[in-house]
Amino acid sequence: MTFQTHDARILEVKELTSREKLFTLRFVDPEINRKFKYKPGQFVVVDIRGFGEFPISLCSTPTREGYFQLCVRRVGRMTKYMHNLKEGDIVGIRGPYGNGFPMEKMEGSTLILVAGGLGMAPLRSVLWYALDSGKYEKIYLFYGTKAYEDILFRDEVIHLLKHGEDMNCHVKLAYEVESPSCIYLEKGYSPRVCKGVVTDLFRGENFDVENTYALICGPPVMYKFVIKELLDRKLSPGRIYMTLERRMRCGVGKCGHCIVGTSTSIKYVCKDGPVFTYWDALSTRGLI
Amino acid sequence: MRYVKLPQENFEEFFNSLKKWGIVYAPVKKENIYSFQKVQDVSEIALDYTRTMLPPKKFFVRPKDEMLKLKEGHWEEANGTEPIVLFGVHSCDIHGLEILDKVYLGDPVDPYYKKRRENSIIIGISCMPDEYCFCKSLGTNFAMHGFDLFLHELPDGWLVRVGSVKGHEIAWGNEELFEELTEEDMKNFREFEEKRANSFQKHLNKEGLEDMLDLAYNSPVWKRYERICLGCGNCNMVCPTCRCYEVCDLWMNAYEAVRVRRYDSCFMESHGLVAGGHNFRPTRLDRFRHRYYCKSYFDPSAGFNCVGCGRCDEFCPAKIEHVKVLDEVREGLQ
Ligand SMILES: Cc1cc2nc3c(=O)[nH]c(=O)nc-3n(C[C@H](O)[C@H](O)[C@H](O)COP(=O)(O)OP(=O)(O)OC[C@H]3O[C@@H](n4cnc5c(N)ncnc54)[C@H](O)[C@@H]3O)c2cc1C
Ligand code: SF4
Ligand code: SF4
Ligand code: FES
Repeated sequence: MTFQTHDARILEVKELTSREKLFTLRFVDPEINRKFKYKPGQFVVVDIRGFGEFPISLCSTPTREGYFQLCVRRVGRMTKYMHNLKEGDIVGIRGPYGNGFPMEKMEGSTLILVAGGLGMAPLRSVLWYALDSGKYEKIYLFYGTKAYEDILFRDEVIHLLKHGEDMNCHVKLAYEVESPSCIYLEKGYSPRVCKGVVTDLFRGENFDVENTYALICGPPVMYKFVIKELLDRKLSPGRIYMTLERRMRCGVGKCGHCIVGTSTSIKYVCKDGPVFTYWDALSTRGLI
Repeated sequence: MRYVKLPQENFEEFFNSLKKWGIVYAPVKKENIYSFQKVQDVSEIALDYTRTMLPPKKFFVRPKDEMLKLKEGHWEEANGTEPIVLFGVHSCDIHGLEILDKVYLGDPVDPYYKKRRENSIIIGISCMPDEYCFCKSLGTNFAMHGFDLFLHELPDGWLVRVGSVKGHEIAWGNEELFEELTEEDMKNFREFEEKRANSFQKHLNKEGLEDMLDLAYNSPVWKRYERICLGCGNCNMVCPTCRCYEVCDLWMNAYEAVRVRRYDSCFMESHGLVAGGHNFRPTRLDRFRHRYYCKSYFDPSAGFNCVGCGRCDEFCPAKIEHVKVLDEVREGLQ
């Protein structure tokens, strides 16, 4: 039954931006609901029966049980079908797949979450998990977005800009396209909100590199710059985690699509990842 | 291992007895191409074939394969398979299947593959290399497991190695067809193997191959081949260890759909494409090089991802030779 999916009902559909919708789901079978355990950074394969399948990160946290959430950007055929679905509709879900972030190992440390665009989706799972569990020294969220309208989970981000400090959560936002709303945010939260790219948010911040982990997710171009920033600050490659995307069909190491690397090191992004450390990137060509 | 002798005069009866174990497929010659086909009679089989175009993987990972059937809104496993007997599989292809086993029987098990593997009997046959074969360099020229019976040619029949419980059962059921081996048979077997070992024309230098290739990431050799390669993906289709697949759903009628997978090739531009139109292997150079990296990856538990069958050479319309490419890359490093 490797490729069989389980029925999940859409409890709620929320429009996050003009391209992204947030789907809240629950398995129809209570038994499966109870058994469904996942880690931040893992993903599921969504099955719209008779139309196809596609991988999506879990953007909710396992600390909140009874439902799970997927943030889906409309980019093509399958994601368009998904966007047409309404509350009460059923989709198939298989998973969770992938390794996820080592949340337990990082307990007691400072976490720097660096998100670019849709990269916010898997990192939101980490963010909530860390806030809920209260087991982390300090949490930074550096979020780079194109424009105000593109900010994913905007309410949550603004809430944390306002009240995050009380929870040891330090949120910073960089935007590229100027707009009245951005200028308003910048006025209220300067210097934590600024015009620029996500690496600009590192300015003026000092971390205890011995006790800090960085978790990165964003578009392919982002990794190089963010990693350079972190390495300049002497963060060890083993403390830099990133979650990657590749074309995926099976999600379990069979279809071959997500294979990266060369003759000395071949990795499957679906089962060896999608979370990798920078050590992996150094020994596996083509990872980032 | 148990060794017995099948005298030539019993060969046909032995072959016919296999039919009760399943549908028998064996190499058949059509024009200049060999392929595994359903056979009824010994006379149809091309016993001295070199290589089929599609390797026996086509029985387990089919070019187009139904996985699930949509019935009343729910997926059901597509039908299982009938038992088959693959007669006349060469050693390199047996090794190829073992590499696929690693992937498809590894956790989580692929149910379709597993069912088909369990429902199949593999009967190996000895062969003589042609100008494309380089299995000897990879140690895949002899199979020690992965078959039920293996037939080695003798002047007056076959030396049969029994490689599995099923193989024992087949031999047991045909006890009257087999004889004990004589010293003469062993001598003939050794002579055949020696002659075979000396007949290889192509050799792959696998000394430090993985490392050498990795170091040669920017070798100009890749760039030269980028211009010769047509990007047709033939080499993927015919390779016994290539197994990338693409999945799609197809509607049969208004109520029934099937989920189908089919062979995909890393030479296709879409292979590395992800959301936003970003491509992780955008150029033919990236894709050409990737195939060599994938084939030359050494898995400590399964060896290289190439068994030296020579198919990619024989069926490449641009006449690109696997070993030659690797040799040139190596030379470029020195
Ligand atoms: C581990 C993982 C986690 C992901 N998490 C999210 C997420 O949280 N939210 C989100 O919106 N998207 C996520 N994606 C991307 C999502 O899978 C693709 O956007 C989706 O498959 C596109 O399907 P489509 O049919 O709409 O697009 P298509 O019509 O197939 O094509 C549109 C574009 O998407 C690419 N694409 C198609 N299939 C895939 C695939 N299986 N994987 C990657 N790219 C593909 C195509 O190459 C093309 O560039 C994730 C992908 C992976 C691998
Ligand atoms: S078969 Fe030859 S021409 Fe076609 S993709 Fe392979 S190497 Fe290139
Ligand atoms: S790479 Fe070529 S020689 Fe090697 S197993 Fe595949 S088809 Fe055969
Ligand atoms: S998604 Fe199929 S092998 Fe990774």
